[in-house]
Amino acid sequence: MKRICPLLLAALLAALSACGAGEPETAAYAPAESERLVIYTAHKEEVYWPIVQEFERRTGIWVDVVAGGTNELLERIREESDSPGADVMFGGGVESLESYRDCFTPYVCTAAEIPEWFRSPDGLWTPFSALPVVLVYNTKLVPDGGVTGWADLLSPRLRGRVAFADPAVSGSSFTALVTMLEAVGGDDQETLRRFAENLDGRQLEGSGDVVRSVAGGTDLVGVTLEETALKRIAAGDNIALVYPADGSSCVPDGSALIRGAAHAENARRFLDFTVSREVQELLAGEFCRRSVRGDVEPQASMVPLEEIPMADYDVAQASGRRDAVLMSWAFYLGEEAEP
Amino acid sequence: MRRTPSFRRRLFAGFLAASLIPLLACSAMMLQIFRLRMASEAEREMAEHLTAAAAALDAAIDAFSQAAARLQNGTVAARALAEEGEEDTLVNGELFSAAGEARTYAAFDLYDLQGRWRYSTRQIPGEERLPTGWGALRAASEPGEPLRLTACGDVTDTESPLLRGAVKLTAPGGREAGYLVISVYYAGFRQLLEGKYGAQNDLVLLSPYWRPVYCVEPSLADALAPRLRSRLLAGQGLDDPAEEFLYAARRHEKSGLYLVLRRPQVFTEETLRLLYTVSLGCAVVCVALSIFMSLTLSRQMFRPIQRLRQGIGEVEHDNLDVRVPAGREDELGELNRRFNNMVEALRRNREALVENQRELNQAQIRMLQAQLNPHFLCNTLDTMKWISKINRIPQVAEMSANLADILRFCISPEEFVYLRREMEILERYVEIQEIRMSGAFDFRVELPEELADCLIPKMILQPLVENAILHGLEGAADGAVEVTVRQEAEMLRITVRDNGAGLPEELAAGWYESLSPAGKHLGLYNVSTILTKYYGEGCGLFLENGPDGAGAVVTAVLPARREEKEPC
Repeated sequence: MKRICPLLLAALLAALSACGAGEPETAAYAPAESERLVIYTAHKEEVYWPIVQEFERRTGIWVDVVAGGTNELLERIREESDSPGADVMFGGGVESLESYRDCFTPYVCTAAEIPEWFRSPDGLWTPFSALPVVLVYNTKLVPDGGVTGWADLLSPRLRGRVAFADPAVSGSSFTALVTMLEAVGGDDQETLRRFAENLDGRQLEGSGDVVRSVAGGTDLVGVTLEETALKRIAAGDNIALVYPADGSSCVPDGSALIRGAAHAENARRFLDFTVSREVQELLAGEFCRRSVRGDVEPQASMVPLEEIPMADYDVAQASGRRDAVLMSWAFYLGEEAEP
Repeated sequence: MRRTPSFRRRLFAGFLAASLIPLLACSAMMLQIFRLRMASEAEREMAEHLTAAAAALDAAIDAFSQAAARLQNGTVAARALAEEGEEDTLVNGELFSAAGEARTYAAFDLYDLQGRWRYSTRQIPGEERLPTGWGALRAASEPGEPLRLTACGDVTDTESPLLRGAVKLTAPGGREAGYLVISVYYAGFRQLLEGKYGAQNDLVLLSPYWRPVYCVEPSLADALAPRLRSRLLAGQGLDDPAEEFLYAARRHEKSGLYLVLRRPQVFTEETLRLLYTVSLGCAVVCVALSIFMSLTLSRQMFRPIQRLRQGIGEVEHDNLDVRVPAGREDELGELNRRFNNMVEALRRNREALVENQRELNQAQIRMLQAQLNPHFLCNTLDTMKWISKINRIPQVAEMSANLADILRFCISPEEFVYLRREMEILERYVEIQEIRMSGAFDFRVELPEELADCLIPKMILQPLVENAILHGLEGAADGAVEVTVRQEAEMLRITVRDNGAGLPEELAAGWYESLSPAGKHLGLYNVSTILTKYYGEGCGLFLENGPDGAGAVVTAVLPARREEKEPC
């Protein structure tokens, strides 16, 4: 009996665990590896979702989307560089993409209609939309023409009433800061110090807070991107937009093919799709953005790009001095906040 | 006593194993069968629901295709889109009749080639403009299926179309004229699918890329679809062990959509727990029953054995009166009864033995009593002999001398004597009797010389001869008593024969047998007893009457022994 007992028990256990796990019957529905694409995107859902959906419909490729903040996703790509979890980084300022250039593989997209000045010199990234830096002001608190350019941000009458996001967190804020340095001219350190002083050591945590703060009346003037400002104006916020008279910049956001991507071919198709005429028309028509294609006109309500005064802004140079600028900025801002 | 618990424990273990193992095996098997059964049942049911829902979708898609075909065949709408020269009511009429019943769950709109809205079956018109290079209108321009369905937008938005299909219309002459756009809204899907998939289930429609299209609870689809999609992409089954739901998916071929049916798990944790509890309860009952049964049975077996043990102990201590209650009519009862019989037989045996011993002792006591004051009697007889001789009474002297000899012989300590000696004493006795009876009979002894030194118990012939003289020759004129000794095989046959009246009928019947010394045959009884006691079976007295019934023949049969040795 002692020998039978374990046998019986074993039989029991076998019977209990017989609910086997075989191949799931839905496996047939899953796409093959060649029909997949994984995208990390810093865009908002309203931007990426129609594009992804249309891409899927046209190509039959299943797209897996992981949405997040630019820096968060870039960090993740760097961590995963041994075995990339994604194929494409979709969105994020091109400076940010530049500063993670080790993680990407160049791909020169097929669209010929993209002007040279929007292209990456070595094809590391593919531009998506042009985003000029603008100033916004509260129309109830600031008279028309009260703010015209970067110089106003350094004037004492706006001291402590400027909404500016932390450039270490927000890519657009960093672009704005460098644009300002170029536009104002003179000694960069002096400009940084004066701006930090005028902020009273106070900066906002994210770029999304800028317009909110200005529209709410907490701040009089803010620094943001044209797209954000236009969207909020269209939504009915009582703010107005000014292209700085002393010079703006128009740094595009872009997409890049991740080095070692598992589905590189599909990723290239996606990159091509993002600069296709249909998509560029969509973003010009629906998203208050400027297309990077020469053959897609901006909405009639938009000031043509050629009429916006431009400062001398170089993406590669800006991303090269990123750490230095941020360090000085943190130094001056901290000095202000100290007392 | 020390083996009892182990015996009980073994019984208990046996019962436990015999009851618990089948019980557990049965429970496990039942559970498994039940589970498989329920699972397959659920699977079948879900497949049925899916089929029903797919059929509903099929009907809708067919209706759409037919509507598109009807509209294509009609000319009014196409011309209206191409040239704008038609009466609105006519166009609407054609659109309405083409849409037919399908209008109740879908909106039919006509857009021109630039994507501008023109006509609709709905009260509220659809979007003013649709991009021709994007979404449904673009799909309509692509080669392939005439009607391609495109999932659009937000599943939680019940006011926007959830699924849209467009067909390019051509005007007569082959010129492209515009688009027929068919949109299905939340309400339309609800109407199509309501009641098709079971009240407790949820049906989620997914796009060909597993994006949510429709669910009766849009928020559920919104939450569920990404999970299902990621599970599908990860190559896992849809069922999540952590969830209390079962999923079944099916591709709807005509639309490319996927139908995913969610059904509450048949075997919830609670049911399982209940089943386990019931099984456990049964097991506990089994254990209790096993304990009870083993105790009872072991007591039932042990008690008779214990009694038997005590009984045997008593017998060891020589108590043969012990009796074990037989109890039940089973094997143990039988064992006890046989033990009782055995003890009874033993007791009877021993009583017989004791009785035998007692009788032997009595005989010896009688002998000892007979030796009382023997010398006084002998001396007295000697004195009588001398006095008779002095007074010249020879008969008295002779009788006294013979009597004294007999007496001496009787009281001599030896138990066995030579046959010769026994004969001498017998002759003394006969001399006395001859004097008493005045020589009225004839006495003869026939003793072969080779048998004269056989050993026999003393004084066994005298009673036989006395019997012959006193009873056989009573009243006979010329009586004769004859004693013959013969040897047959190893047996000595000493026959006393007279020519008297013979033995009574009841005695002349072979071997002498009498249980008690009472009655007139004390002599015969004594001799027979001595012979049987000494020599056992086959020895004793053989009684018969002579030929023609004349005279008694009494034969003492005993082994012929010559040396002095203990009788066996």
